[in-house]
Amino acid sequence: MKEALESIPIGAIVPFIVLNVILIVVALIDLFRSEQTRGPRWMWILIIVFLQLVGPVSYFIVGRRREA
Amino acid sequence: MRTWMLMYRKELLEMARNYKWIWIPCVFVLLGVMQPLTSHLMPQIIDAAGGLPEGAVIEIPPPVPSVVLLETLNNFGLIGVLVIVLSSMSIVSGERNSGVAGMVLVRPVRFLSYITAKWAGAMTLVTCSLLLGSLSAWYYTELLIGDLSLLDTLYGSLLYLLWFAVILALVVFFSATLKGAGPAAFLSLALVLALSLLTGMLPAWMTWSPARLTAHAASLLTEGQLLDLFWLNILVGVTMIVVLLVSAAALFRNRPLVD
Repeated sequence: MKEALESIPIGAIVPFIVLNVILIVVALIDLFRSEQTRGPRWMWILIIVFLQLVGPVSYFIVGRRREA
Repeated sequence: MRTWMLMYRKELLEMARNYKWIWIPCVFVLLGVMQPLTSHLMPQIIDAAGGLPEGAVIEIPPPVPSVVLLETLNNFGLIGVLVIVLSSMSIVSGERNSGVAGMVLVRPVRFLSYITAKWAGAMTLVTCSLLLGSLSAWYYTELLIGDLSLLDTLYGSLLYLLWFAVILALVVFFSATLKGAGPAAFLSLALVLALSLLTGMLPAWMTWSPARLTAHAASLLTEGQLLDLFWLNILVGVTMIVVLLVSAAALFRNRPLVD
């Protein structure tokens, strides 16, 4: 397993991690700036941080409450 | 034309405020990166999942670059479509319910330009996201798996792009004619799914279907040539977009802006 991971150039892994971090950070920023969310805030924090890719996306689609 | 540009720019601005310009391209790029990575690591993934039984002789063929790209495009066609539809399901109805549509449309603005500006704005985002995703898929395939033609990648993505344009026109249509975002998303997804499934199951009957655009992309990548009736599918796709947008504007005009 370790060898296989080492066969991937580090340049290929970095963007993957960076993009995931960007998604998480943007989702968290929006979560803290919005006054209301659909569902409790702490639940969204857990979902965003622990579910890779799916968490931030589902927050943006379901959790954001459109300001009228 | 100036008012159209204004409304188009408003769409782009609104998508930036909703962080759509960050998260949707991110999702497409991650989808594009994922497939080459998992193909590259497949033997290790099988090992980690318990491995093959002792003594089993199963040769895992080395992944083919064009097939890896095709699988990526397939992912765009499934997960990408889901993300696009769900993120734009309230594109018209949301503005209508919040009263913004009313404020825009009391001015001398044509309903058709209002609707087309919305579609064009969403299309801009989808185009950028899809191209970024395909390019990263191409780069990762080149890096981890093997040689892949950049031109074929772009052609394949453009075919998917036209299919996405049809899907977005469907979403805009349902969002303009139905009150809620949920029903609009459900109907669009159901129709897209039905069209794709029927096209796959009854190829003889569905030669006109724009869902065949994805099959053209597959054939282009694996065999290097398009299927028959390519221009018919393009023509039907473009016609569907025009008809959907025009009728969305017409139906939207006939509904009172405030319930």
